[in-house]
Amino acid sequence: MTTRKMLLIDTSLCTGCKACSVACKAWNELPAEKTQLVTGYQSQKGTTPNTWTYVSFHEKYENGKMHWLMLKLQCLHCAEPSCMKACSSKAIYQTESGYTLIDHEKCIGCGYCVTNCPWGIPQVDKAKNKAYKCTGCIDRVENGLLPACAHTCQTGAVQFGEHDAMMEKAEARLAEVKKTYPKANLYGDQLMGGTTYIYLLTDEAEAYGLPANPSMPISLSLWKDIIHPVGGIAVGAVAAAVGLGVLANAARGNYRRRVADNAEAGSHVDSYGGE
Amino acid sequence: MMVDRRGFLKLSGLSIAALATGLGLDLEAAEAQGYALKLSGCTKIPSICHFCSGGCGMLLYIKEGKLIHLEGDPDNPTNEGTLCPKAASLASVAYSPDRPQQPMYRAPGADEWQNISWDEAMERIARKAKEVRDKTFKLTEEVIDAKTGAKETVTVNRAEGIAFIGSAEVDNEESYLITKLSRLIGSPYHEHQARI
Amino acid sequence: MTNSWSDMKNSEAFLIAGSNCAECHPIAMKWINRAREKGAKVIVVDPRFTRTASQADIFAQIRPGTDVAYLGAIINYIIQNKLYDEDYVLNLTNALYKISKDYKFEEGLFSGFNAEKKKYDTASWGYQLDAENNPVKAAALDDPDTVFSKLKEHYSRYTFETAEKISGIPAAKIKEIADTLCERRPSSILYALGMTQHTTAVQGIRCYAVIQLLLGNIGKAGGAINALRGEPNVQGSTDMANLISNLPGYLPYPTNAQKTLRDFAVKHGAAQQKPMVALLKAWFGANATAENDYGYDWLPKSNPANSPTFVQMYGKMGEQFKLTFSFGSNSLISIPDCGKVGPALDRLEMFVVADVFETETAQFWRRPGVNPKDVQTEVIFLPAAFVYEKAGTMTNSGRWIQWKDAALKPPNQSKPDLDILDHIFKKVRELYAGSTDPKDAPILKARWDYGDPEPSPLKVLQELSGYDETTGKLLPTLGDYLKAPIGTVSTGCWVYAGCTGNGNLCARRDNSDPSGLALFRNWSYAWPGNIRILYNRASCNAQGQPLDAKRRLVWWDDAQGAWSGNDGADVVDKAKGPDTPEGKPAFRMNPEGVGRLFTASYTGGVPATPPADGLPAIPTRGAAQCVDGPLPEFYEPIESPTANVLHPSVSQVPLAPVVSTEIGKAEDYPYVLTTYGVVEHFCAGGITRNIPWLNEIMPEPFAEISKNLGKKLGVKEGDKVEVSSARGKVTVRALVTDRIQTLTVNGKETETIGMPWSWGFASLSPGPSTNNLTMAALDPGAGTPEYKCCLVNARRA
Repeated sequence: MTTRKMLLIDTSLCTGCKACSVACKAWNELPAEKTQLVTGYQSQKGTTPNTWTYVSFHEKYENGKMHWLMLKLQCLHCAEPSCMKACSSKAIYQTESGYTLIDHEKCIGCGYCVTNCPWGIPQVDKAKNKAYKCTGCIDRVENGLLPACAHTCQTGAVQFGEHDAMMEKAEARLAEVKKTYPKANLYGDQLMGGTTYIYLLTDEAEAYGLPANPSMPISLSLWKDIIHPVGGIAVGAVAAAVGLGVLANAARGNYRRRVADNAEAGSHVDSYGGE
Repeated sequence: MMVDRRGFLKLSGLSIAALATGLGLDLEAAEAQGYALKLSGCTKIPSICHFCSGGCGMLLYIKEGKLIHLEGDPDNPTNEGTLCPKAASLASVAYSPDRPQQPMYRAPGADEWQNISWDEAMERIARKAKEVRDKTFKLTEEVIDAKTGAKETVTVNRAEGIAFIGSAEVDNEESYLITKLSRLIGSPYHEHQARI
Repeated sequence: MTNSWSDMKNSEAFLIAGSNCAECHPIAMKWINRAREKGAKVIVVDPRFTRTASQADIFAQIRPGTDVAYLGAIINYIIQNKLYDEDYVLNLTNALYKISKDYKFEEGLFSGFNAEKKKYDTASWGYQLDAENNPVKAAALDDPDTVFSKLKEHYSRYTFETAEKISGIPAAKIKEIADTLCERRPSSILYALGMTQHTTAVQGIRCYAVIQLLLGNIGKAGGAINALRGEPNVQGSTDMANLISNLPGYLPYPTNAQKTLRDFAVKHGAAQQKPMVALLKAWFGANATAENDYGYDWLPKSNPANSPTFVQMYGKMGEQFKLTFSFGSNSLISIPDCGKVGPALDRLEMFVVADVFETETAQFWRRPGVNPKDVQTEVIFLPAAFVYEKAGTMTNSGRWIQWKDAALKPPNQSKPDLDILDHIFKKVRELYAGSTDPKDAPILKARWDYGDPEPSPLKVLQELSGYDETTGKLLPTLGDYLKAPIGTVSTGCWVYAGCTGNGNLCARRDNSDPSGLALFRNWSYAWPGNIRILYNRASCNAQGQPLDAKRRLVWWDDAQGAWSGNDGADVVDKAKGPDTPEGKPAFRMNPEGVGRLFTASYTGGVPATPPADGLPAIPTRGAAQCVDGPLPEFYEPIESPTANVLHPSVSQVPLAPVVSTEIGKAEDYPYVLTTYGVVEHFCAGGITRNIPWLNEIMPEPFAEISKNLGKKLGVKEGDKVEVSSARGKVTVRALVTDRIQTLTVNGKETETIGMPWSWGFASLSPGPSTNNLTMAALDPGAGTPEYKCCLVNARRA
């Protein structure tokens, strides 16, 4: 029986070397993209179909002390993923190890996952019409190897293991880090049903450019759990209820490619939750 | 790695204990679990990183003479499988289209290289080395003794016109042969990156 | 490194100063973090808040080039407050040795200065000697003639306040650093080019030696001075003496003042004579005999009046050098004041480059601003195999000689440098075949037999490891080399002796760690003699028992009558007890056998009565000497924004060779530039700028400036800024950041500008070269250029 895993990103140990980003590309055979410096040492603006993890840099100078915050960002692999709920083609599924994955045979590149992810992680490759994001290196993990990012990380900022053991480790480490950084907190374990990739932050989430309280968009809940299961699609009728995100998608014409029935995927989320 | 959810459930038996053994893992057996692993069937050959002086171990996964993947060597006690971004990128050097294909010669005043054979390259280099060595060779020189002030003729066997640069970027055996070659042909004028 | 990467886990504190290890030696962080888990503290001193600084418990921003000032203040604090390890200082250093009454230090100059030659006569830096030529020791540290008293007096000028004035680090912060180092032992000091690339390089690092000897932190697990060597095999290439001043194994290079092997032995001692003969046997085999001085004449003798070090070589191109070989070196980017390199290469008749990619250096003849038609140099490019396409060893910073097999065939027509070198030698030898001209003897008498048609790297490694020349068999161990009579054994590099004696020990892959001290003694082979922590005799008391029960390295085993331990004992003879001349000295490579707080001029083993044959006596060995002073002294960089507050009349190191011809003044160039690498690229970028994944994560060079300077220049983050020095100018993206703060130096606000230097005009990611700005001024002893500080101006571009 596969057990739930956890990947802990301990930002207090991260030196922003970006080896995780390169190792991810090397394993997944993702091409380099043309970049320029965004701010400070950050060159990658966000995830793309070919960049599944990157490091953002945040400088904070307070009371004569410098805090240089570095954040490796990638899919957090939520227990209750809004991308999966939003997926129009049942392409997004979860594994018992706690990963949220995209089946590219089913993905039609509608972009609902992009719009509905609180962190903006999945990205659609326009040429291939498929959405891409971190796979958790499921192929490595299922074959007994560490995810590429965890395997390469030299500082110990990215650690991988069994969920419960890692959670214990994270709590212990938090207690230690709080002595130096009183605002330190764990980020992810209480969000979106509990994410599989969680963070130890040394400062408030906002200082890292993270949303403090990400949640399933209300529009999405309405759409998937209330309106859609009841009946067919009438875009005009539901538009008022589902809010701006969906409107935006409608405007872009994404809905035209939506596959009819998503109810099963929705129920899957529920059956998975709480494990 | 295209596996559907049902497929995934079938192959979920693999124990995390395999992680503890690093790569002491039977990749063929692992693949039989269902998730295709591109490393299956590869030979693992350890190497050493080519950047800072950490000497981190790298593992190259080779199949039919081709490099399939490169990552940190978990058995190397210095890095235990970890690699910095530079080392993690090194697979891309093997088949880089930007590596020159063969020896090249650039004639005086020319604005392009021309490809030449190794034989021609060696011939040109050796002939030039002999020419410069013969032209600039100092068999002896007069030396004034710092203490006594006496003049003395000393055998110095020096080829004044030849200099060597490098290298901290090559293996010990190569680095040693640069030293040996330069001194044997008469040049003490040999320096490299350690100086700067 | 005295220790190793993995040994860092044994430290209680780290002083990382002159190293940005999280970026330039990322593996260090793995082991530092292991120590931090157990409570170790990290101190980072740097001109910028670096990615390493982000991990520091204590961070101090320093003005570039002023390390000796704050380190001197720490030395002073340790002495004044008696925070030194008294047993260690008394027994394992030269603290009690009496210094010549002629020794003086006045107004920035040590005794013996020759202003005309810009050189010191070091005679007055010697010890008082007894009738047997041994140093005289005082009864107590406070004897006015002792090394300790000289040290105390010298550093009494270095108060925290003075150090603050010079370095810009607040006095309280320097005290905090000193207290942390004194309270937490053992500690490890990490440095790299941030320390060596100054005209005061050697003296800065000597401060580390003084501090660690005072604190008793050398020869111990977790107690170290760790030089983080800069390139994959720079430890090995230094061992192999790719340097004008040495032969392999750190033999001093014979000059024209040493006409015979005897002269060499008289000058450098019996300790250098034996490895010299072993090297000559390796190079000339049976042709090297006692009768012909082992072929000593065949070695080219250097001329001290013309011994250019790396940076100085370019000035000799054309006029002296007609043919230059370059193996894996992108000097057009990496040499300071690099605008001078291209014109130098233009003056050569032929330039031969072996490299993996077509570096800027390989195509100097089409650099921007030059018409190739005007460059008459013939250039030959030889495509070299990459590290994993060839078998061989590289030596890491911890002196581990690690073997690797070839994993792939070199692509296209590329060849290992080994093959290239072998073919060049064989071809040259062919051209001289049959010559009876004495000048050609070194080539024709040489032993060069590594296989045909391609050489075997293992055969070369075996030559380094050594042979019994009477039987032709491999020397089993370093001990066998040391025991053998002179002339009966060969080794190409005596410190590597025995590395392939019992099989290829460099290829060993047993990563077990029975002691838990991360010594890994069965993984590869560490020189010398597989000792992982140098000077480890110092971890024991006089009886040879470990001082630290948690960190037991070696000990004298009375029952066995031998030194035993988790590491190999670093003693002269493992069968000799802790109180014998072979079992007692902790610093056996120094003629005194102790650590040198004061680098006295001294030669050991000079007989009291001259030899009967009337020839000069052969001593045992000479002591290493710092040419610019026996105690570290603070001097301003050659280009400095301020005067030396300690001795304004001797502001800079009086001995420093200044190669650059344009020197800037603070009125025209008011800011201090410091240069460095980033984790995403490596050195001159010859490899890394051809790797798309790395260009993606660090796409361009930049200049980091403080927010104050940004405001003053009207430059915002992302704007282009032009940085200029007396030597050149470059335009790059500005990063305006709090990570660099305006410092107050000598009462004046001082700005630091930071720029990485890894870019050049070619590759997949071209960019301007920072070394157009830097200055070629050299450390008088080591020859390292002052890349880390020069004066610049800046404006919005």
